[in-house]
Parts: sequence; C-alpha cells; structure tokens
Amino acid sequence: MTSTLLADDPMMGLAPLPDPLFDRPDVHGVPMSSPAPSATIVPRRPPVSSPAQQRRAIRGWARNDVMMLSGALLSALSTTVLLFGRITPLSGQFGFAVVGFVVFLATYAVILSVTENRPAVIDRVVTVLLVGAALVAVIAVTSVVFFTLWRGKDALWRPNTYTSDMSQTGPNEGLDKGGIGHAIVGTLIVIALALVLTVPLGVACAVYLNEKATRVAGFVRTVVTAMTALPSIVAGLLILSTWIIILHHEYSGLAAAFAVSIVMLPIIIRAADVVLRLVPGNMREAAAALGAPQWRTVWHVVLPTARSGLTTSVILGVARGIGETAPVLLTAGFTNSINVDPLKGNMVTLPLTAYNLIKSPLPSQVARGFAAAAVLILLVLILFIIARVLGGRPVGQLSKRQARRAAARSLRDLARCEAHGRIAGVAVSSEVAS
Amino acid sequence: MTNAITTTLPRVADPGTSAPAARDLDSKRGFGDKVFDRMTSASGLAVLAIMLAVGLFLAIEARQALSKAGWSFFTTAQWETGRGTFGISAILLGTVLIAIVAVTVATPISLGAALFITEVAPTWVRSTMIALVDLMAAVPSVVYGLWGLKLLQGQVVGVSRWLNTWFGWIPIFKVNGADPKNPLTNATVFTASVFVAGLVVAMMVMPIACVVMRQVFSQVPVGEREGAFALGSTRWGMIRVVALPFGRGGIIGGTMLGLGRALGETIAVVLIISPRNTITAHVLEAGTNSVSALIATRYNEESGLGLSGLFAAGLVLFGITLFINFTASWFISRSRSGASSEA
Amino acid sequence: MTGQHRRRRRFSYVWGVLVAALVAVTFGAGAEAPAAATSYQRISGEGSSWAANFLDAVRVNVKQFGITVDYNPNGSTAGRGDYLKGLVDFAASDIPFQFNPEDGTEPERPEAGTYAYMPVVAGGTAFMYNLKIGGKQVTNLRLSGENVARIFTGAITTWNDPAIQADNPGIILPARTVVPVVRADGSGSTAQFSLWMIKTHPEIWNDYCNRSGRAPKCGETSFYPTISGMIAQSGDLGVAGYISQSFAEGAIGYVNYSYALGNNFPVAKVLNNAGYYTEPTPQNVAVSLLQAKINTDSSNPAVYLTQNLDEVYSDSDPRNYQLSSYSYLILPTTVAGQFSEDKGFTLGAFAYYAMCQAQQQSASLGYSPMPINLVEAGFEQIRKIPGVAVQDIDVAKCNNPTFSSDGSNRLADTAPQPQGCDQQGFPTQCPDGTGGMSNVPTAVLVPVVVPNNGGNNPGSATQTPSGDRNQPAANSPGAATDPNASTGDPSAAPDPNAAGGANAGAASPAANTPAGNTPTGAATQGPASQTGANPGASPSGATPGAATNDPAAATGNPDSATPNVTTPGAATPAAESPQTCDADTGLCGTGAQTNAGTSAGQTPAAAAGVGPATSSVLPDTGGWGISLTMMILVIVLTLGLIFAPALAWRHFANVRPA
Repeated sequence: MTSTLLADDPMMGLAPLPDPLFDRPDVHGVPMSSPAPSATIVPRRPPVSSPAQQRRAIRGWARNDVMMLSGALLSALSTTVLLFGRITPLSGQFGFAVVGFVVFLATYAVILSVTENRPAVIDRVVTVLLVGAALVAVIAVTSVVFFTLWRGKDALWRPNTYTSDMSQTGPNEGLDKGGIGHAIVGTLIVIALALVLTVPLGVACAVYLNEKATRVAGFVRTVVTAMTALPSIVAGLLILSTWIIILHHEYSGLAAAFAVSIVMLPIIIRAADVVLRLVPGNMREAAAALGAPQWRTVWHVVLPTARSGLTTSVILGVARGIGETAPVLLTAGFTNSINVDPLKGNMVTLPLTAYNLIKSPLPSQVARGFAAAAVLILLVLILFIIARVLGGRPVGQLSKRQARRAAARSLRDLARCEAHGRIAGVAVSSEVAS
Repeated sequence: MTNAITTTLPRVADPGTSAPAARDLDSKRGFGDKVFDRMTSASGLAVLAIMLAVGLFLAIEARQALSKAGWSFFTTAQWETGRGTFGISAILLGTVLIAIVAVTVATPISLGAALFITEVAPTWVRSTMIALVDLMAAVPSVVYGLWGLKLLQGQVVGVSRWLNTWFGWIPIFKVNGADPKNPLTNATVFTASVFVAGLVVAMMVMPIACVVMRQVFSQVPVGEREGAFALGSTRWGMIRVVALPFGRGGIIGGTMLGLGRALGETIAVVLIISPRNTITAHVLEAGTNSVSALIATRYNEESGLGLSGLFAAGLVLFGITLFINFTASWFISRSRSGASSEA
Repeated sequence: MTGQHRRRRRFSYVWGVLVAALVAVTFGAGAEAPAAATSYQRISGEGSSWAANFLDAVRVNVKQFGITVDYNPNGSTAGRGDYLKGLVDFAASDIPFQFNPEDGTEPERPEAGTYAYMPVVAGGTAFMYNLKIGGKQVTNLRLSGENVARIFTGAITTWNDPAIQADNPGIILPARTVVPVVRADGSGSTAQFSLWMIKTHPEIWNDYCNRSGRAPKCGETSFYPTISGMIAQSGDLGVAGYISQSFAEGAIGYVNYSYALGNNFPVAKVLNNAGYYTEPTPQNVAVSLLQAKINTDSSNPAVYLTQNLDEVYSDSDPRNYQLSSYSYLILPTTVAGQFSEDKGFTLGAFAYYAMCQAQQQSASLGYSPMPINLVEAGFEQIRKIPGVAVQDIDVAKCNNPTFSSDGSNRLADTAPQPQGCDQQGFPTQCPDGTGGMSNVPTAVLVPVVVPNNGGNNPGSATQTPSGDRNQPAANSPGAATDPNASTGDPSAAPDPNAAGGANAGAASPAANTPAGNTPTGAATQGPASQTGANPGASPSGATPGAATNDPAAATGNPDSATPNVTTPGAATPAAESPQTCDADTGLCGTGAQTNAGTSAGQTPAAAAGVGPATSSVLPDTGGWGISLTMMILVIVLTLGLIFAPALAWRHFANVRPA
C-alpha cells in the first residue's frame, strides 16, 4: 500500500482497512473479517501561521462606497453648473435640481459599473432613487412649513396679530394694526362644537360596531366607509341647502360646525373602530369569565385599554377638522370682526381667513394670510405631537410608569384580599408569583 | 410553593329524586346590558340615519337638475343654467386630469418613500420619516394651496415651458399661445394650469398613499425576505421579487385612495386655477375647472336650477370617489397583506 | 371602589362640567343681546367687489360707533343671490336685479316692495395693466375704446399691434403677448364692461360672442365669456392680484380704479369722444356722470334710482371717461327672515354714514363722491328701512366735495381739462404715470425735427427712433418740442393749471415752437395749431412734462442735449452702440426705450444665475463657440480625474502575488 498521509502514523501503517465491498466470503474466498475497531485519524497539517485577521465591517459604508458617491455628487454638481451656466438655456432652481439629480444618477451608475457587477450597480442606483424619493417628500413638507412661517414672519411676531381683528383696520394699513384674532376664536369655537357633536356619537358608534356583530352593524360599517368618500365641499353644500336655505337659518358658526362634523364623523368612527378592534380578545374574554356584563367589559376593560388609541384618533380627527376650508367657506359667511356667538352672525376660521387674505395683492394682507396659515400649521403640529405622545404605545402595552402603577394596584388588591380573608377565616398566601 | 388556600364548598341540599330540569343556557342580559344595547344601537342607527339622510338629500337635491338635463349633463361643456344647457363634461375632464397628474407624480414618490422607510432607512431615520409623512398628511390643504400659489407656481412655470418646448409635439403638452421659438412668450400662459394644480394636489395625495404602502410593506413575511437575501439577492432584488408582489394590493389600493382624495380637493385647486369650461386636454395651459372648484365658486350665485345642478355635480363626484374608494379597499383586502391595514 | 376609580370619576365629572360650560357659554352668548332698541346689532352684507374698497372703508370707520358690519365682497351676482335667499341683511350690486337677463342666466325675481336701491358710490372701471419696456414699468399707456374691446375679445394678441402702437406714439411697445385678465365670478364690473362694449362696439362684441361659443345669448352679462389665452380670477381683488405678480407681464384687466391706486399699478388711459385719453380720476368721473340718467320714478322700486349710462358713453366732454358708473346698495324694506328692526336700526345708521360722511374720503380711495341730488335721494331711500332712526341731515355738513352753494357739482365744475399731450393725434404722449403709479413717468420719444422748421430746437435733433417701427406721429415733421420744457416736475398728476397755459420754466422757447414751427399743417403738433380741438384750454405746445426726452439715452450724443433736463425714472443710459437689439423686449434700434446694452447684458446673466427665474423670458442661447469647447474639455478632464484613480486601483489590485 502506498504510503499516504495515513502511513505517517506508525501505529496504523500496516493493517489494511476492511473493505466491505470486497471482503465478502463468496467473492474472493477471503473470509470477511470483522471490521476492525476504527479510529479516526486526524490528518496532520503543516502548522499555518495565520496572520492576525482584521475585523470586517459588515454594516455601514466602506470607504470605497463613500468615495464613489461623493465623486459622483461632485461631478454631477459641476456638470450641472456648467450645463446651466453655459451650454443650455435652462434656468431655475427646480430645473437645476432635476437635471443635477439625473446627471448624478448617470455618473454614479457609470462609476459603479467600473468596479461592480450589474446587479450591484442596479441595486445601488435603486437605493439612490429611493433615498431621492424620500428626500423629495422631506423637502416638500419642510418647504411648505418653512415657507409659510417665513412669509408670515412679519405678522407672526407681533402680538396684535393674535389679539385683534380686522374690524378697525383697512387693508392698506401696516401690520402693526389688525390681526387674525377673529379667525383664531372662530376656529376654536367651530372645532369645539364639532367635537361635541362628533366625539360622543363617533365613539359610541365605534363601540357598537365592535360589540355587535349583527348584519345591521356590518351595514353601518359599510355606510360609514362609504361616507368617508364624501367630498368636503358637498358636505358644505348640503348644510347650506338644508340648514341655511330651507330651514332659514343664517350663515353662522353652528352651520359650519355641522358641516365639519359631517366630514369628521366617518373619520373618527373608522379610526376608533380600528383601535377598538385591536384590543385583544382574550381581555374581553377574561372579563366575561370573571362575570362582567358586556357594558362593564366595555367600560372597564375595552375603553381604558384603547384609551390612548382613541385619544389619538380623536386628535387626528380634530386636526383634520381644523384644516377643513371648503365646508366652512360655504356655511359660515365672512367677517372681519370677532364673533363669539356661533348661533348668529358670520364667523371665519383660520383656513378661510388665509384663503381670503392670500388673494390680495397688498403685502400686509398677504403677510396676515400667511400668518393665519402658520398658526394653523402650528396648531396641527401641536395636536400631532400630543397625539403621538399619548398614543405611542400599541394597545394593551403599558409604559413603565403604567406597569408600576398596575403592580401597585395589584399589591393593594392583594392586601385587601388578605385582610378580607383574615376576617372570613380563610388563609391567603402572601406569596405572589411575580 | 405552598398551597395555603383551601376552598370550602357550600353544602347543598339533597337533590332528591326529581330529574334535573334542562338548564337554560342562554344568559339573560341584565338591566345594564339592556341599557347598553339600547344606547349603542341608538348611536349606530343615528349614525346610519345621518349618513343615509346625507346621501338621500344629495340625491333629492340633484334630481331637479338631472331630470332637466338628462344625459346631456355629461356631454355639455358650458354651465349656463339659465338657458338650461349645463353640463359637467369639461369640468369632469378637468377634475380627472388634475387627479391623473397628481397620481402620476405622487405614486412613484410615495412608493419610493415607503420602500425607503421599510427597507433602506436605519431605525432612527425610519421613525422620523414616519412622523414626517404623517405630518404631511395632517397639514391642511389650504396651506398647500398657498404654498403652491406663491412658491411652486413660479418654479413650475419653467418646467412647463421646458416641457412645452421639447415635447410640445405631444398633444397634451401643446399650449395655445405659446410659441416655443418666441422668447417673449408670457409666463402667464403656463400658470393656472392643470399641471400646477396637479402638482399641488400630488403633495396631498402622497402621504395618504405612502402610509398605506408603508403598512403593507412592513407586513412582508420576514421569512420570505430573509430567504431572498439568503439566496444572494441584492436589496433591490429582494424588493422586486418579494416585497413588490406582496404589496401589489397595497400599492394599487393606496394609489386609488390617493386618487379619491385628489378628486375631491377643493381649496388648493380654487386658489390656483383660472376657471374655464371648455373641453381641452392641454395640461400645461392656463384654464381648467374642477367639480369642487365649480361648487366653491358658484354656490352663492346659483339658486333653484343652478343650485340643483351643483348638487348633481357633487353627486357625480361623490359617486366616482365612492367607487374608487371601494375598489381600493377591495384591492387592499385582496392582497396578501390582508385586511388588517387601516384602509 | 379603588382610588383610581374614584379619581377617574372625578376626572370625568370635571370634564363633563367643562364641556357643559363651553356649550353654555357659546349658546348663552347669543342670548345676551340687549333688548334695548338703541344698541347696534351685527349686520352682514355681500356683493360687489367693485365697490368693496369704499364699503370696507365705511365699515372700518363706523366701528368706532359700535356698529359691526360684515361685508363679503363676493361679487354682485352672489350678493343679489344671497339677498334673495335672505342670507344677508343688505347687498351691494353694480347692476340692479336682472329680471330679464340677456346672458342666459336665471332671472332674479325679488318680491315687489321688499327692497330699495340706493346709489352709494361712483367710480370708474379702469384697465390695470402690467407691462415693461426695457425692464422698466410702463405707466402711460393709452388705448382707444376699440382697442380695448379688441383686446378683451382676443382680436389683438400682441402689445406691438399697429393699432395699439398708433395710440401710443411716444413709446415703442414690445412684441409681448397680451393676456386679458377677466372676472371668473358673477360680476357687476363685467356687466358694466359688457354693457359698454355692446353700446359702443357692438360688432366686436357680437363677433366675440360667436367665437366664444356663447351665441346667441350674448348681451350684457355678468359672467365674462372666456377663450384660450385669457385668465379668469375671482373678484376685482383677484384680478388686481394676478396682474400685479411679477410673472404677469403683458396682463391687462378691468378693475375699479381704487384697486390700481391701492396696489400702485398704472391704468390705461381710454380715448373718449372728444379725442382725449383720460383716466377715471374722481373729477373725470364726476364730469362723466353728469350725463348719467337716473330714473326718478319713485313709484316703481324696481327701477327707481337705477342708471342709464348711454349718454355717458356718447358724451363729448374732453374730461369724460366712458366707463364711469354708480354702484348701489340694495336695502331691505320689510322685516323678513333674519332681518329685524334692530338690524334695520343699525343698517340705517350705516347707510347714513355711507351717504354723508364717508363721501369725503371716497376721492382719496379712488372713487368719486356722490352728487347732491343722489345723496338726498339716498336719504329718502334710507327712510324705508324698517326700524331706522330717521336722521335729518343737513347735507352741507357732509363735507362732500361735490356740494356747492348753487347746487351744481363743484367737483365736476372744477375738474381740470386734459393735457394737450393726452389728445389723440399728438405726436407723442404724456409721460406722466397713471393710476397708482402717477408719480412715475415713462420716458417718451420725442418726434423728429424736420430741418426746414425754423431750427429752434437744437437739442432734440438726435432723437430718432431709427428702428422704423410704426411711429406715424413721431415722424411728423415740425413737431419739435423743447427739451427744456421738462423743467416742471413730471411727477405731478395732470396739473389743473397746466392747461391754462402757464408753462413753468418753459416760457420763451416753448412759445416759439408751436407758432413758428409748423410748416405743414399735417403736423398734429400742438393743440394750439388746431382749431376747436381744445375747448377751454390752450396749452402751448410744450406742456410741462411732455416729451421728457432722455438726453443720455439719445445714443451717440450723450452730451449734446440740454444739460438741465431731469428725467427721473427715465431709461438709464447704457451702451452707446447705435444699432443693438434688446434681448428682453426684442426691439432693435436706438432711442429711449432700447437699453440694448444693459438688458442684453442682463438677460444671459440672469439665465446663468442659478437663482429663481424672475425673468419670464427664455434667455437667448449662445452659439457653439470656443468657450463651449473649453467647457467640454474641462468636463472631460474632471471626469477623467475621477475615473482614473478607480481604474488604476482596479488594475493594480488585480495583480496577485504569484
């Protein structure tokens, strides 16, 4: 047997290993030897000195990637500047951005294709496209917010903008007189009325949809879904023709509240419905198992569990209702003076004032209009932040503080049970499985 | 674990020899539950009544105009209610064009943003982007209208002019009154157009579509996603093979929801366009109209037949939006991501 | 019950109390209206945006008395419509209720005896425009009535149309597209404008009717028919707002004169039957409306006090402005719907103020004060408001500028005659600005001096618009005017005394020119050389402010012109190359209007700028030249610099140790 690595080992060198295929007795006349106890021989390798391995970075950007990206960016920038400045008759920031992006994509693809294969190039380019899409969205929303704040800044920092109305200020006067106080008051009144009208009804209806699984409830749910498609202007038109024209009321804050409620109600119902549906079924079943009637289940288990989600949906509904212009345009008339009576007299809201003022060619009026829009954005932003803070948690999960309080409540209950048990003669364990 | 609680069962009397009576398994609802039933049913029915009344009244008010105009309501372009010839053909066309432009611009951006949020973004960026998109959905439409009127319109005029110069041979990009070779072509002919209004409406459509798509993409089964990576695909490959087919329903549904919103958008359109009731498909040219803009500008000038005509136009718009919303819900629920999204 | 339960119940109690309080406050606030009839109630009105600036001023002024008025300038049609529906307490409309509308809209059928018209303000519908020549705003545009009609019917499409140029011999108009801006909503301004067009240029209007698809119902209309190329906006405010935007060059629209004043934009002077171009200043409107026929049939409230303007259109007073009209308040005369006697009390006080004290400020706003007969008729109408506290007002105390002791219209009597340069056929035109830019003159061309003239004008010989454009009047021989004539201040609005012939500072040389320098009678040089064309005024040819030529812009001869000519705001001197073309306006030639050097230098630079496109013109492209080649080379080098290291890296990294 030729010497292989095996033969290096003096212990094992000579005995042939049994071969089951050829060691059959009737084939070669050699009795099949019982397989010798096999031992594994580890091949010996020459010692390899391994160099100290560098820790590989699995995540993040390699220097190569960064260089390629920045190179492409710089090249695109310079090329676009040249294109815009010298070669082609293009102009405008918008065109610059678009052309620059296209050139950047092309340059990046070319640079990548030098070192990478096709799937990688496509992947990187698509990643850049996705980042670009997200950037477009970010730029758009920040541009909207900052442009509004910027154009309204002349009026925003003055306190008279918030406290006075335009009843004693002509349009030509400067920004030190007059303001949008009447719009702020109008918005608050209209939205308060709309809240009173929609929230109780909306939450109750959502409870109804969740608790009753009848066909009627299914039909109601379908109708509510259908009503979210109602254009807000049609809601305003409806209130105009029913409440105002046929029933002979006047343009008023109440009519505007009705119109806004028609728009807000389906939204609140649907949002509340979704939140209530997320309450885990086993909590309801646990309450039922403990003998609670349905109304107690809803009142003590379902609603508190969904409280943060309900608050969020209500707040988002409010944010939507504040920003509604079309229904208020048709039903609230127009005024320049503060009006605190929603039943009589025209009322304006912030979006309506912004809409009216912005059409004016006078810079002070335009500044006031932008100030109204800026106050509107700030209101929505504040509501939004409140909604996120309050509703950040999924249904049923408790924050640390809430968990601590729940544990404290349980301990108090246990103490009460123990006290009760001592009176009744029943021993209650004080060990509680945590 | 010591078991220190002992339960003592109460003694019951000897049951005797009478056969046990059949138990009534239906639980009687207590008084509180009955009140609860009444109240919730009342609220549900109240909401149903309100909604149905809204729909019914809309139809009643529109009946007068629709019976007067008949099918010509959909084929007439002018709006002259005194003569009895009024119709929404041009107006509906304008509405649809604005919505198409808006959806065409918004869908790629929202798809890209949704994929960015779910696939590309690191965690801290993800939560910020989600908040930003939600904020974008919450900004009132009048603010977008102001921004579009005062900032975007000036910028987009250049884009419109470029499109007209290089692609003016395509019929929809043609503009009457704009000669690409004439350097003194006014910018005014490119303002107040379907294109500008569509861009502003796209800003409002984008967050709605993005939210739906994001929810759908976040439900892509992790196993499939990781399987693609394990087989060596790039991220784009995984998106193309796993995420996009999975989220097909969400993409289409989100787009259609956005389309529904775009159709009903009022104030931004009113601020930007210059109303003109003619059938034209020139999206870059000034002069168009939409149903909601028609209602918003004519509501106090019309009465009787005219007001009924406005209701009819609103009813048609409502019908279209309803159809689109239901189709969107159907798409979303049919997709693999199921009906658990909020749409 | 746990503490938390208790707390929650307390919280819900508090919440409930708060909600109840809010509801009580909002609903209770309405109940606190005092029962005393002497307190003012809030009243609301809607309607004309044409009259809105005046009514807003009145609204602001009566606030100090505790009267709160909500006025919504939605347009006359909306005002009348909402008044008929009982949604507003009063309406403001430029035209009366349309019982038989000619434009196919639904007829308005108010109940007899429920309303009264009261003319509250007079003013003129002016044509505000935004036009620049050589980067400078044009402020002295003139248009004949026919040109106005043709512009607003799409028959004239560029500003340098020969017809418009014929009206403007003093400026060279650019080849820019005309963009008519019209009202989108139901508008009294539109109604007045269409009425004027029907009466004065019916064939143009009817032709437009057919083209715009409105025929055959195309009479006086509140809804302007639009065609492609027109822009429609809501409200006079919207129209004014659109025109004043920076990209709206070439736009012209019809608004009330007060909007042009308030927004500092010029208006076009319109040619009247006497051959003068006028603008609707308060005085001119007062003169024009002397011809308005007011219906005096007090038994028919549907027509009582309505106006017939036919004679205003055909009047031949040189100060006449044809599109002058009154605007009305529609006052309720019965208690119905939301209107009560308490509101009538307030409305009466408001109306009295509007007819009396407010008239003295209407002129400063751009309107014209009401004449005494209409003021008194208005007082009579106010008596019909239910619940009004009738005031016995001594009209003399109203401080109305039109009142005089003998009952004639003082404002109309003292209205100044137009300047000679405003006359049709004058070789050039007045450089004074109009409307809201009346203090910004526009440089005008001075017509060519023919050498066989007595040679009295040494300095102005160099002004030749050599571009051979349509300058009929400018080339008329002998129409020399004295450059010294401009030593008066060009910034004044047509000075009432200028027509009297007192040319401050332009005495002797000016006196020479008209008499001596008209060899050919065809030179329609100055009114003095014409007979009968200037009633009551004999301005000597060179009225102050006319023909302020800009000597520095007389290219080629910057110093030979008379030194002490001040031309504020005139074209700045630029390159002195004789025949350059303006990239911005497309004009070629010399003359005051072509700032060839500056603008040619500006526009490519503006195009090169990466900033926002404020210029609404596509800049001209440069040719393919050496700079282009250099740029391409630089690009190639830059790309190479980027790629070379990568390629090198790859090449060298592929080498493996053997």
